Amino acid sequence: MHIPDGLLSPQTFLPAFALAVPAWWWAIRRARRQLDDSLLPRLAVFTAVAFVLSTLMLPLPGGTSGHALGVALLALCFGVPLAFLAYTLVLVLQALALGAGGLTALPVNALCMGLVGALVATGAYRLFAGLHAPGAVVLATWLSVMVSATLVALVLGMQPLIAQDATGGPLFFPFGPAVTLPAILLPHAVLAVGEAALTLLVWRHARRRHWFTHPA
Amino acid sequence: MSAQRPRLALLAWASAVVASTLIHDPAMLTAAVVGALFVSGTGRLGLIRRATGAVAAVLLLISAGYVAMSMLTATFAVDVLLRFNLRVLLIAVLTAWMLREVPLLLALSGWPTAQRWLLIVQAQITLFRRLAQDYRLARRSRSTVAPTLRQRYLGASSLTLAALDKAVHNAETVTQALRARGALDE
Repeated sequence: MHIPDGLLSPQTFLPAFALAVPAWWWAIRRARRQLDDSLLPRLAVFTAVAFVLSTLMLPLPGGTSGHALGVALLALCFGVPLAFLAYTLVLVLQALALGAGGLTALPVNALCMGLVGALVATGAYRLFAGLHAPGAVVLATWLSVMVSATLVALVLGMQPLIAQDATGGPLFFPFGPAVTLPAILLPHAVLAVGEAALTLLVWRHARRRHWFTHPA
Repeated sequence: MSAQRPRLALLAWASAVVASTLIHDPAMLTAAVVGALFVSGTGRLGLIRRATGAVAAVLLLISAGYVAMSMLTATFAVDVLLRFNLRVLLIAVLTAWMLREVPLLLALSGWPTAQRWLLIVQAQITLFRRLAQDYRLARRSRSTVAPTLRQRYLGASSLTLAALDKAVHNAETVTQALRARGALDE
């Protein structure tokens, strides 16, 4: 669900940078305490998994694209700070390798998907894991994708309202929330089910292999 | 090559991308696209091919949606259509140009952990792509009948788990080899 570069106004991406920079700083400080020579290779592998998942992109009419994220998987296996950093790296790689996303869209994409997605995934998992852990993984992943998609749709949909030319025409992305919300949320509601199944598959495997000492 | 030049080039690219969001006149955006292609030197055709390849699908979809909706509401403005298409294209051209010129690993040489992380991720992406290709070729060479959807899902899930095991093992081996050679002593 990346927002491509060039569709967001400076009124959006500059405040987003102002929010994202301290969030990255916090994540780096937390990651330094966590990352060691045994965790880094696993994190790199799961970052690569998230990258590969997100390469299967389907452009959506709402100005973004539909694909699996892998954020919930990263968050459930490594926690929020490392998931946020890893997903930021995925976004950077996607921008550089595939032209998806980009510099001005990076803070919005990273905050909506990497940070909020990871927070929702771990929060939902903690809330429901006591009832049924695999079910909690599925629900946490689905919720994480849908909350991220809602935020992305709202940020895009705000663009015609906050950046207009003298005639009232949009300077950046041309559609309002009435278009972006259904265009982004409906396909993601289905895509998120597939992502939830995949996350459960890999999460179970990782637990069986004892890859993570401090899961969510 | 020192890390100074790639870092300056990265900074110049970032400034140009941000500056492009401050231009709203389609004529100036067109001039900026043409100017960037002119200054980029030889290989312009490859540059424009890479840039359009990256953004064509999303631009076509947004443009078609805009034309259809604005026609229905009688608010169509060619400037709006040109503006977002040209801006997205300009940024894609600038990014493709930067990627052609800047060695990213060298630009990250001041941050060894980030450099190592990027290296391992890049290696794993290549590994995953090769594994998926190997699997597809192996399946095709052993069967004359196309697999059913269920077989494809089952195959993909077992491939994912096998690829994960292999990738984690490889990444741990690389890290141990690096540690044994003192490459992680910083």
